[in-house]
Order: sequence, then C-alpha cells, then structure tokens
Amino acid sequence: MTRKVLDAAITSETPEGIMIELRPAGITVRCYAYMLDLFIRFMIGGVASAVLLPTMKGVGTGIVLVLFFGMEWFYPVAFELTRWGATPGKRTFGLKTVMDNGLPITPAASLIRNLLRTADFMPAMFGFGIVSMLIRRDFKRLGDIAAATLVVYEQKIATKPRPLDIEPVAPAFLLKPEDQAALMAFAARVVKLTAERQDELAAIAAPVAGCISSPDPIVTRKVLGVAQWLLGRRG
Amino acid sequence: MTPLQFEQLHEAEWLELEELLNRLRGSRSKRASLPGNRLSQLYRRACEQLAMAHERAYPAYQIDRLQQLTANAHQVIYQQHELGVQRLIQLFTVDFPCAVRAHSTYVWVATLVLVLPTLIMGLLVYFKPELILSVVSADQAANFSHMYSDSAETIGRVRAADGDWAMFGFYIKNNIGISFQCFASGLFAGVGSLFFLAFNGVFGGAIAGYLTHLGLSRTFYSFIVTHSAFELTAIILSGAAGLHIGHALLSPKNQSRTQALVQASRESIVIVYGVIAMLIIAAAIEAFWSSARWMPLSMKYSVAGVCWAAVIAYLTLQGRGHSHARSYES
Repeated sequence: MTRKVLDAAITSETPEGIMIELRPAGITVRCYAYMLDLFIRFMIGGVASAVLLPTMKGVGTGIVLVLFFGMEWFYPVAFELTRWGATPGKRTFGLKTVMDNGLPITPAASLIRNLLRTADFMPAMFGFGIVSMLIRRDFKRLGDIAAATLVVYEQKIATKPRPLDIEPVAPAFLLKPEDQAALMAFAARVVKLTAERQDELAAIAAPVAGCISSPDPIVTRKVLGVAQWLLGRRG
Repeated sequence: MTPLQFEQLHEAEWLELEELLNRLRGSRSKRASLPGNRLSQLYRRACEQLAMAHERAYPAYQIDRLQQLTANAHQVIYQQHELGVQRLIQLFTVDFPCAVRAHSTYVWVATLVLVLPTLIMGLLVYFKPELILSVVSADQAANFSHMYSDSAETIGRVRAADGDWAMFGFYIKNNIGISFQCFASGLFAGVGSLFFLAFNGVFGGAIAGYLTHLGLSRTFYSFIVTHSAFELTAIILSGAAGLHIGHALLSPKNQSRTQALVQASRESIVIVYGVIAMLIIAAAIEAFWSSARWMPLSMKYSVAGVCWAAVIAYLTLQGRGHSHARSYES
C-alpha cells in the first residue's frame, strides 16, 4: 500500500523485503539538542577546571587541555557508539543517529560525521551545515552526507485504542483496505476530539454505516460501530 | 482475518521476540545463552506478519508495533562489530600503511604543498628577516626568539614553569585540532586542505628562517627534529586524506557525487585513525623529550634519525604483501 502523502519519512528496505521507516529530524530540534550538548560540555569543562587546575598545577592543566580536546572532537563519537546512538542532548529530544539503512552507526561513520563538523561550521556559525540541512529533504548536514548517516526521531508506537463501549455495526458495503484503515484510525483517536469535531468527521464517513451525511451523535456512534466491526468485534 | 484475531494469533510470538531483544540489551552473561536460531526465526516471522498487516491495512497501532519490533531486531541482527583489539591490530599492522600507499599520489601532492612554501618562505626570511613580520606580529617574533635562545631553561616554551604535562595537553589539543581541520576542510573540493597545508608551511618556514638568521639554529633544529618525524608526516597525511575526499567530489568517475564522497570518506578515515595515533606519539615526544636541555645533541640527532627511518619504513614497508588490506567498509 503506497500512497503519495506529504511526509518527510524515508524508507529503507531490509533483505527480508520489509520497509523500515525513518523520520529525519529537522534543523530546529537538532539545534536544541546541540545547544543542550554544548551546555553539558561547558559544565563538565567548568567543573573539571575548577577542581583540577588549583589542585594539580601542571599535570592538572595537561588533563584539562586533553579533556577539552576530547570533548570538542570525541564527545559525540563516544555517545553515538553507545546503544542509544545519541548524545545526551539528542536523547533528551528523542533523536538518534543511524546509518542511511537504519542500522546502528559504525565507529568509522561516527568519526567521519563528527570530524567534518568543522566543514559544516564554515564559513561561520555552521553556515554550510545550515544551508545543507535546509535544502535537503533528509535534513543532512555535510558530515552526514559524507558519512552516510541520518539523524532520526526515535520511533514511538501509536497507542492501542481502548475498546469503545459501542455496539459493532456491519458495514453497509465492502470497504477498500485504506478506507478500513482510515476508519480504525478515526476510532483510535476519537477520544482526543471534541464531540462536535467527532460528529463532523463521522458525517464524512456516514455512508459506510448506511446513514445520511449529517453531523449527528447517532451517526457518529454508528460509524464508530463499523470501526469496531472492522477491528474484529462482533455483537 | 480481523485485526483482533490476527493479534490474538501472533501475540505470543511478538512477546517472545520482545523478550529476546530485551535480553540482548542486558549483561554479557545473558547474551551468551541467547538462542540465536529462535531469534532469527521470530524475526523472519515478524517480517512476514508486518507485510501482511500492511497489505490488509490493519490498524496503525498493530503496524507500528510490528514495525518497531522488526526495526529493533534488524538493528541487532545486522549490526557490525568494528571495535576490538583484533581490529586495532589489523588497523595498525595492515590497513593504515596500506591505505597510505594506496593513496600515494595525494600524499606526494600534500608533501609538495607543505614543503615548497616552507623552503621558499624559510629562504626568504633567512635573507630578509623583516619579512617575518608579514607572518607574525613583532611580539610573537620576540617570543619565538626567546623560546629558543641559549639561555632558556627548557626549549620551545615561553615559561619553564608550565611543566611537561601541561605542554603535552597543549600539543594534543592544538596539533590534532590542526590536522583534523586540514582533513575536514578537504570537503570543499580539496581547497581547504591545500590552504591549511600551505599555511602551515609558510608559518613553519618563516619561523625556521628567522631563528636560523638569528643564529639559534642549534637549539631550534635539535628541538623539532625528533617529533617532526611524526608531526609533519601526520599533518601531510591528514591533508592527503582531505585531498582524497575533495577529489572524489570533483571527479566522481562512474558513481554519483554522493556515493563517491561516502566511499572516499570511508577510505580516508583509515588514514585519520593512523594520524591520531601518530600525533599522540608526537605530542608525547615534544613535551617530554624534545624540550629536555640536558641531552647531548648527538643523542638527540641519532634518536631523531631512528624515528624518521622508522616512520618512513613503517609507511612504505609495513603490511606489504598482505593479500587483502581490508578497507573499513560498513
């Protein structure tokens, strides 16, 4: 079932022939994540300097400098190679870094995308990176292009609809699969809608329950009844 | 079959697969006893069921659940393990030196772009020392001549009190940063790498010419000669890696530009791994060995000779004849 919809999702086919759906994260949320990471790095650096510099003199300076170097280049690499595949900032905003085919990021790819951050930063303030993210459908910055990686949203599962206390109603005619899916999706999110909106939407689908299209609570109950029937409930 | 029947029929398998995947995330001992056959069997079945659920337009929550399940299992089953001691040994005994030789053209170009400006600028400044001011400020020039003067307690530093460890940290942060920049800016059709190579050449040449003119060559060259075996080579190699990705973008041959870039990045990152190791060695030598004043010059120069010979021999000979130098593909 492939439909043309306005959507940024990218699919990647596995050897088993199923499609893995990836949802690339846009520039705004990635900016937030970056700023949070920057703040975390700043705090670690500040604490380390405050503790090590006065107590350990030369050795302390050495350790602090190596720490700053490590955080500048390898902070994202270290976190991307954990099983979450994301820095603390990205995790907070529900993002992670994966390969183009949806697999966990490899060490080589992680190093490439994080070293090339320098190129994204040029000419100033991530100029090239921002342009690249804005003009691409998959929101990749230059480092992502070269490393073949994607920053995506962690998948969230649609919640299982609570069974509605409604009599199942047999549909008035045979429904196409996508129409069945639309009805079941309507039933799943009906609890989040106001009564008026429920009636409006149900009116569109009224013919499936053999009713006349009019916004009416009785029609709504019938349409939802059809959805219950489609899910498999019988009287 | 209605969605509810479908769910009832397969629920037990989904739960079992979820349970197995959770165990995989747990400790090593839990992973060891994992029934791999069962995992892949359940994964294939879940794939089939997902395809069926799609085809029959089952409700979103079921498709999402199956999608999540298969995506998680897919990640585990097709994961690549690149880390490990074995991999590191392979990297430094075969992959790194082989990658350098495989891209020797870029290495030679990078060498020329670094060495020619060094020589030209060095000679210019040697004969017309006022030209040093076109590269650094008067204060900095005075600083440099002070660092390498015969009276300085330790060579190559403004203050002796900084300590070897502090300087080690400084060299790590500074030098590896420069070489990363040299690599990354190659993404712009190689222009950035060329610029940073030439810039470092001009800078180094100017300082060398200036100090030689002042008659400080004894301290200066004995200071740089040992660690430069690692440091100069590493900067050249990172520049060469940058030129490789830049060239892939300019001339992608029979691939798309993106494909060529991805492949070139994967090939050159092997060189970058080696560069990191070389620069850590360089920083250690620079901080703890080069700066020591008590060492007789003959000893410094002989150790330097050994280092240069070792680096060149390693890059030209190590791993030769190894039938397949694996590239780090993923």
